[in-house]
Amino acid sequence: MASDSGRYVFETDSFHKAYGPIVALEALTVRVPEAAIGLLGANGAGKSTLIKGLLGLLEPTSGSAAVLGMPVASQGPEIRQRIGYMPESDTLPGDVTAADFVGHMAEMSGLPTRAARQRANDVLYQVGLNEERYRLMREFSTGMKQRAKLAQAIVHDPDLVFLDEPTNGMDPQGRDEMLDLIRKIHNELGITVMLSSHILGDVERVCDYVIMLDSGSLVVADDIANLRSTTADVVIRIDGARNGFMAALRARGIEATESGSEIVISASSDSEFDAVRDAVVESGVSLRALQPRELTLEDVYIRTVSGIERHTRTEDRAVAGGS
Amino acid sequence: MEANPEANASTGQPQPYGEIFDRGYQHYSGERLGRSFAIRRLIIYSIKRGLGIKKRWTSKILPIILYGLAYIPAFIIVALFAFLPASDLEGFGFDSLYGVIEIVILIYASALAPEMLCDDRRERTLQLYFSRPLTRLDYLASKVTAMGLLMSTIIFGPPLLLFLGLTFSDDSPISYFANHLTDLLKITSYGLLVSAFFGALSLSIATFTTRKGVAAAIFIIGALMLQGIARSFYEAIGEGSLRGYLVFISPPDFIDSLRRWLFRTDSQNDLFAATDLPGVVTLIWLVVVIGVAMFLMHRTYLQED
Repeated sequence: MASDSGRYVFETDSFHKAYGPIVALEALTVRVPEAAIGLLGANGAGKSTLIKGLLGLLEPTSGSAAVLGMPVASQGPEIRQRIGYMPESDTLPGDVTAADFVGHMAEMSGLPTRAARQRANDVLYQVGLNEERYRLMREFSTGMKQRAKLAQAIVHDPDLVFLDEPTNGMDPQGRDEMLDLIRKIHNELGITVMLSSHILGDVERVCDYVIMLDSGSLVVADDIANLRSTTADVVIRIDGARNGFMAALRARGIEATESGSEIVISASSDSEFDAVRDAVVESGVSLRALQPRELTLEDVYIRTVSGIERHTRTEDRAVAGGS
Repeated sequence: MEANPEANASTGQPQPYGEIFDRGYQHYSGERLGRSFAIRRLIIYSIKRGLGIKKRWTSKILPIILYGLAYIPAFIIVALFAFLPASDLEGFGFDSLYGVIEIVILIYASALAPEMLCDDRRERTLQLYFSRPLTRLDYLASKVTAMGLLMSTIIFGPPLLLFLGLTFSDDSPISYFANHLTDLLKITSYGLLVSAFFGALSLSIATFTTRKGVAAAIFIIGALMLQGIARSFYEAIGEGSLRGYLVFISPPDFIDSLRRWLFRTDSQNDLFAATDLPGVVTLIWLVVVIGVAMFLMHRTYLQED
């Protein structure tokens, strides 16, 4: 593991986890800087395995990992004292009040009893469970349970919190509120957040950095801003005869596609922009907008994952042809 | 913020009663006490849950009944010794008290062990514990300790009460205490050994199911079935010194033989009355059973995800 691991929230070096013949994570090597981190992938992509590996709850088949500059293999308890974890599944005991349980979890992280009780009340207020904190958790709605899980994850003031599918089972309004809360935890409370989700919109809304996994393999790990800017697509909006404008573009050797009310071209140099200008003049249309197309995370995900699939299929064919 | 119109009459300005501040989220800068503190708190939390504290009133019924059944006989025996001449109470003592409360101990162990382990696994709270500094071994050690402490209150408590009652009802309490110190030692030894034996057995069963009722039923029915099997074989084998070893497959009879060995009394259990196994063999078997039970628990919890 690199000696400068303190600069990263976590890093893995060929971190590999297999259950017999099934590979859950395939030799994952990644270094993640401090940011609101999104962990994206379909169900079964290896997100929960990675989180459990970083918590030291799973022993890797091979490879290593370090979190907050500490190796997971030898300093698991020390790491877990500075980490919060909100699991995906329902993990709350039904016959305990939220205040009692969150306080108990704070004690489990080493906070003295009095401080634990005080912080449990404070944190439950922060997550919006002030009135309900003395109710048994079996009476909670899904949204309230998610909030209680979030409260137990941050009650001990961790440096890093892993949130595994925090919006699971929530209605749209509850989901919005939860995402706002997570964003607030990162921005206002200064806690580094890693949000694991299969919902691209959630990650896009909350995170600055994304790790994409597909079938246990790393697809991409980068700033979301960088990923979005890696496109040469330009969006054009015009008023006037669209067919004439499209024909004028084709006459200049530019492939254009229609996307709703917009026309999209690929522009890698200034010559394409000159061609658009000339086509506008020639076809007599009014140019309303000419701007780089901003990729959504969904575009990035589809491109990268489908790119990998194409690459894998090509390799498979090559192997089949070779044999 | 509200103003107090009566205050500060000299300036005529209303003064505030007080101010409400939204402190927001505060970072924690106090001390962090580490794993040993977490283990202690988990032991206390588990004891409270075992007794039904901070749970529904229905959770408190069984502990109250069992504590009543365990302690009332001790009170009765003390009262008898206080009001009747000692010659009328020949044969009454710790051994007879244990004979009465043994079934209570069995039921308590069967009810308590699932309370210690099953809920956390059924409700998946284990994930939250293991995301804390606690290790799986810490968690298990806490649960075993909590179980042992609670078991000792019902195994060790009533005879201790009896001992104290007999001491203070004697004409010379100090000489009684001095003459019967070995009884105190035997009570303590028996309490520790039976707590460990029943605790380990019932906890190891509770690790294999998330249903509390199932775990309790397996423990009680299993113990009674093993007792039945042991006695059937005992009858079938007939004469022979080896048949005494059948006591090892029957938990209730094993506890009976342990008591007989410690208190040097005749067994009330006719079936095994003739068995005279060396005490060291009994102790070795106890250690083996506890060791196997702990190994099974640890292995199961290591595999937990």
